[in-house]
Amino acid sequence: MRTAKAFRPIVFEDHFRISLRDLQRILEIALASGGEFAEIFLEYRAYNFINMEEDIIKETAESIDLGMGIRVLSGEKTGYAYTNDLSFDKMKKAALSASAIASSPSPVSVADLRTAVLDHNYYRLEIVPHQVPLENRIDLVKESYVACQSFHPSIKKVKAGFQSQIQYMTIANSEGLFVSDARPLIKLTCVAIAEKGKLREFGFSGGGGRVGLEYFSTKLGPAQIGKEAAQEAVRLLDARDAPAGEMPVVLSPGHAGVLIHEATGHLLEADFHRKKTSIFWDKFGKKVGSSQVTIYDDPTIPAFRGSYNIDDEGTPPRKTLLIEKGTITGLLQDRLSSEIMNMPMTGHGRRQDFTDIPIPRMANTYIEKGEYDPQEIIKSVAKGFYADKFQGGQVEDSGKFTFSVSSGYLIEDGRLTSPVKQATLIGTNVDILNKIEMVGHDLEFSLQTGTCGKEGQDVPVTDGCPTLKITKMTVGGLT
Amino acid sequence: MKRITESDLLGLAESLVRFGKANGAEEVEIGIGDGREFEVDVRQGQVENLVEAGSRSIGIKIIRNQKTAFASSSDLSEETLHRLIKNAILRAGLSSRDEFAGLPSPSSIRIAPQSLDLYDPEVARLDSQAKVRLALETERIALADKRITNSHGASFSTTEAKSVLANSNGFSGEYDKTYCSLSVGLQAGDTDHLVEDFWFSSETHFGSLETPEEIARTAVERTVRQLNPRKIKTQRVPVIFEPLRTSGLLGFLFSCISGVAIYQKASFLLDKLGQPVGNDKITVIDDGLLPGKLGSGPFDSEGVPSQRTVVIEKGVLKNYLCHTYAARKLKLQSTGNADGNSVSPNNFYLEPGMHTPQEIISSCQKGLILVRTLGHGLNPVTGDISRGAFGLWIEKGEVAYPVSEITISGNLGSLLNDVEMVGNDLEFRGSICGPTIKVAEMLIAGSD
Repeated sequence: MRTAKAFRPIVFEDHFRISLRDLQRILEIALASGGEFAEIFLEYRAYNFINMEEDIIKETAESIDLGMGIRVLSGEKTGYAYTNDLSFDKMKKAALSASAIASSPSPVSVADLRTAVLDHNYYRLEIVPHQVPLENRIDLVKESYVACQSFHPSIKKVKAGFQSQIQYMTIANSEGLFVSDARPLIKLTCVAIAEKGKLREFGFSGGGGRVGLEYFSTKLGPAQIGKEAAQEAVRLLDARDAPAGEMPVVLSPGHAGVLIHEATGHLLEADFHRKKTSIFWDKFGKKVGSSQVTIYDDPTIPAFRGSYNIDDEGTPPRKTLLIEKGTITGLLQDRLSSEIMNMPMTGHGRRQDFTDIPIPRMANTYIEKGEYDPQEIIKSVAKGFYADKFQGGQVEDSGKFTFSVSSGYLIEDGRLTSPVKQATLIGTNVDILNKIEMVGHDLEFSLQTGTCGKEGQDVPVTDGCPTLKITKMTVGGLT
Repeated sequence: MKRITESDLLGLAESLVRFGKANGAEEVEIGIGDGREFEVDVRQGQVENLVEAGSRSIGIKIIRNQKTAFASSSDLSEETLHRLIKNAILRAGLSSRDEFAGLPSPSSIRIAPQSLDLYDPEVARLDSQAKVRLALETERIALADKRITNSHGASFSTTEAKSVLANSNGFSGEYDKTYCSLSVGLQAGDTDHLVEDFWFSSETHFGSLETPEEIARTAVERTVRQLNPRKIKTQRVPVIFEPLRTSGLLGFLFSCISGVAIYQKASFLLDKLGQPVGNDKITVIDDGLLPGKLGSGPFDSEGVPSQRTVVIEKGVLKNYLCHTYAARKLKLQSTGNADGNSVSPNNFYLEPGMHTPQEIISSCQKGLILVRTLGHGLNPVTGDISRGAFGLWIEKGEVAYPVSEITISGNLGSLLNDVEMVGNDLEFRGSICGPTIKVAEMLIAGSD
């Protein structure tokens, strides 16, 4: 694995100022009244934000998050406590709170902490945002703003924002693991509102990832982001209402990854399997979809938002095959679920921050490319709906899921015709996975701006997919 | 590293205001939140998670030459806080001059926190074991019903929060608030025909919470009534919103009448003050002064005293809800809805009508009771609504069977004009709430 060129901060000593010996003592206190496993998660997050609207740099913000979360596992029970005071006494108090779930003497003693050195790095950081003067970062925002505003006279309102953060983290556990990471994350977004008469429409675009500022000169320029947001808003001014009812649906490559995220990803998170609440819990090794469907979750894709060198339990992640040719072959595992289910960890134990218990989560989820030419897919539809841009989706354990399309096209006689606006699509996952009739060879990934929420915890993710055709799906348009 | 050990958070806030002024800021606002949280999740009769924590965070706003910078931190060391304030003063210089920026003018109104009855000492006194028992009891009662096949678990949580605020215009205030919540989520049906739902109760006072028995019974009823759903054909029918769904609709309305959305031109209710936006059955209030309610407080995050604001009166749009900045942009007054840099509801509700929910159902020859929605699909710029839905089909004034895998679509603007009946069943279950309502017609997309 390639190592980072410019930026390799020393996490632990710089930010937490606690001795290894003290950490060890806290872990011992946590296990003193029982439990099989204890873990300390230390976090220091530095975040910056620049906001431009109404032609001015309206404000900038800087925030520091510092804290420690400690958990004790005893059977299927988790005791958790956190504090933002990293004094020994407060950490000790947290350890005692976390140990309250355990009652029998612990069979486990705390191993000596050994520093784990990672030989891989999935972040691509050359120009570290906070080492660049704020003026230069403001210029990026302005460039995007101006490009959006000047795209078309109907653009009446623009909002551009830049967020950057570095999350320094150290994990120490009773098995002797002691590991640190520093995760960079940036995001430049632009929102446009276009007006024509009484009509008003909205467009959005953005980019970023676990990268440095060089991204904006080598991958995706700020002006391009502004232009894309404007384009969408302007196009929607001429869009008609989406149709309503069941019809063939073609999903555009990239953005439609949200379908895979909702329809399969969540239901393959291991906690829903050990609790038997997922519709998939009794279908491991069984065929649940069309043979054209192969799905991976890969937290190791360089530079992606959803990637990480270690998960929030300190486990190096693995590219995980979830569905192979329609058959469930893998689950997204964290420590607790893998332990209970006696399956290997996959490095998908994630948490929003130190106040949260880690749970199985997606990282970068995508459907593998197929064999069809995207044009051929569109041509195969006599009358249907082409879903182009997406707002997000939701799923419940029964497999019922929705995703919201912000813009699309009608398909008539094998061609994209009128642009159409907002519609929610609904289906049941097993049904829809079986109705994926054609998979394109054009795998793309969504914007590097996505966030996934589960049990109140938000984490950055990416989704991807090639052009897909679904035989029939319910479209909730207005006409 | 020097740590702040003062328990006097108001003193800390005031000293940081002075520090900001001494270092060149013209206006300074310091807000501190101090919370103690407890949560227990139980599932299948066992404790699953038990979380106990205390945390503090601080928010800083600096204005210099009408240029604004924000900072926040959960590291309360003096070194970090002083560095953040100094950085913010420097950063403010890089923002643009904005004539609307500034702290609220001092107000002569001071609301005594005690008059709002937001702190319940019993919440603080409850011991962990009692809290665990409440969650276990709720789940046990629910699982005793043979129609329930699995549980997402039951949770009981409590929070004691102190809010502290000081600014350079002389405002200085603090108040305590408690919060407690008991909930359970359930599944019924076999794996391939699962239905699910949940029920909850949340209050500032422990004594007002629904009992484990009530919560379990409601959750069971809400779950099993969805068993064996049918798909229906695409059609236009009257739609009855249950109170939680009316609350969802009001949440969307809130995002469209927020002063921030208005000055950003991101709402279809732009330029509509004084005009009818709904029929005369629609009266919407935001009230931060209701004693004991979850959305109440003596002042907002800028120190503006809470008030009762009529948002829509018999269909006519009367007020947008604003913080100081949005109000100045729109030449209005702050309504005491500041929440950091955004605007949040206090107790935002639709005034109840006279009809019982049963009367409303009986009035429908054919229609849909909307019981749950799934997904996003709300566009404040246009008012368009398109969501996945679960419901109960009505025939001849009675519930006939459950339906699922449908979407409902409409537009909030037309919907506010199409409300035919408003129920008498308003309950303050959160900071946004409404009673049962019946809408004349919406488009349901289903099968062919």
